[in-house]
Amino acid sequence: MNRRQLLGLGLGGSSSLFLGGCALNGLSAAVGDATQPLNERIEALLQGQGKVPEFRPDKVEPAALLVNSFNGVPRLDPERYRLQVKGLVGRPLSLDLGALAALPQHTCVMRHVCVEGWAAVVAWSGVRLADVLRLAQLSPLGGYLLIDSADSYFESWDLASALHPQTLLATHMNGAPLPAANGAPVRLTAPIKLGYKQSKWVTGLRVTAQLGERRGTWEDQGYEWFAGL
Amino acid sequence: MAHTSARQPHHPLWTRAFHGFNLVVLLVMAASGLQIYNANPVFGGRGGAVVPELFTLGGWLAGGRDWHFGFMGLYALNLGLWLALLVQRRRRRLGELGDLTALKASASAPRRRLSAHRIVYTLMLIVLAFSLISGLAMYKPAQFWWLTSLFALAEPLGVTSWQMLRVSHLATIPAMVLLVLAHVVLSWRVGGLRLLRAMTL
Ligand code: HEM
Ligand code: HEM
Repeated sequence: MNRRQLLGLGLGGSSSLFLGGCALNGLSAAVGDATQPLNERIEALLQGQGKVPEFRPDKVEPAALLVNSFNGVPRLDPERYRLQVKGLVGRPLSLDLGALAALPQHTCVMRHVCVEGWAAVVAWSGVRLADVLRLAQLSPLGGYLLIDSADSYFESWDLASALHPQTLLATHMNGAPLPAANGAPVRLTAPIKLGYKQSKWVTGLRVTAQLGERRGTWEDQGYEWFAGL
Repeated sequence: MAHTSARQPHHPLWTRAFHGFNLVVLLVMAASGLQIYNANPVFGGRGGAVVPELFTLGGWLAGGRDWHFGFMGLYALNLGLWLALLVQRRRRRLGELGDLTALKASASAPRRRLSAHRIVYTLMLIVLAFSLISGLAMYKPAQFWWLTSLFALAEPLGVTSWQMLRVSHLATIPAMVLLVLAHVVLSWRVGGLRLLRAMTL
């Protein structure tokens, strides 16, 4: 944080006393830039390698799960669907749904928390993202995972979160095949990240050493990148 | 010389500094919190009534979160240090059970006012500490699941722990508005402008 930002913070804090906030909105991004790096580092430290507790399956709240999409609902043909795995991997993959179904299946009953403030307990089932990445012989040089979706939604994750045992490429929701609006045929889910990190209609995974200019559809507009829970 | 001797001695600098800084940071937390509220009102969800823009800070959800999580560290640090020092060095100024008795039984009106005031400002500190706990439980519900699960007590009544958390975190604002009003009125009646000066500059 440089002196200018610090001054901005101080002025921002004290003048909101008089201005009721409205004149300070232009400083929001500067406040975020000054404080997010530290917050994200603490978040990453807090996040363990192990599993977080799950809910009982009868606790699911199907009605509470709202649908958000920035670009409509793409309909993917399950027959022609392929998941591409590329980048810093020893063995690039192109997996169809049969290949995903052949991998060990896991279920995670978790609280899905949206950045807007609502939350819903959902049972997601599918394969571990870690299993897919290991199948592709993930390189030790990899640091980040870029996630492409059919609706051109874009995300990037740190590899530690991607390899978490409860991070799934889900094909089922609450025991039934994933509905189109929720990301069919394959979406990302994890109890350790906010909803906007959990891309729907996932079609491509790319492992990279560094983050590029584009960090995510919402992140590039100003939302936090790590977004851990 | 006669009139200056009537001046009340200042409260210690550290408590004045924490007091003032807390007020500023609290305004930032409340206004940015209300901005977050508007993204999905706790009451009514999508389509529920939103808070007027005048009371919000950030401009949009991401901006509100920039301020709320940008200032939470300062807010927590300030409150934590202030509480620790108050308990250690000025415990006799804080409210206690004796104040409740005085409130009911004392024949002296000033004594009752003083007790009421001590209770009010001590309650504020408790409400603020609670806002920190409920906020943390929503900021990190997966890592601090044990904290989040404390709010499951109304689940038999059909209120999920998440809704309970949102309502109790939001309740900080109306609770503090009432308490601050009481605090300002009481401190005025207890010591007027002289006390206000002694607590500020
Ligand atoms: C360290 C302290 C705090 C932390 C960690 C914190 C954290 C949070 C979090 C994570 C949310 C988002 C909740 C959601 O997604 O629904 C939130 C919302 C909110 N916060 Fe705080 N907060 C803190 C202090 C405060 C204080 C002091 C106030 C008020 C004076 C406040 C007022 C609000 C309000 C009104 C909301 C919107 C409620 C909602 O939409 O659920 N917060 N806070
Ligand atoms: C935002 C919330 C506020 C909180 C949490 C708060 C809390 C407190 C506390 C804990 C004390 C006792 C400090 C000590 O003895 O070391 C105190 C004293 C005092 N506060 Fe506040 N206060 C707040 C806002 C205000 C406001 C807005 C005013 C005035 C306009 C004010 C005026 C005073 C005065 C005059 C005293 C001295 C009272 C005495 O020593 O009897 N406070 N406050």
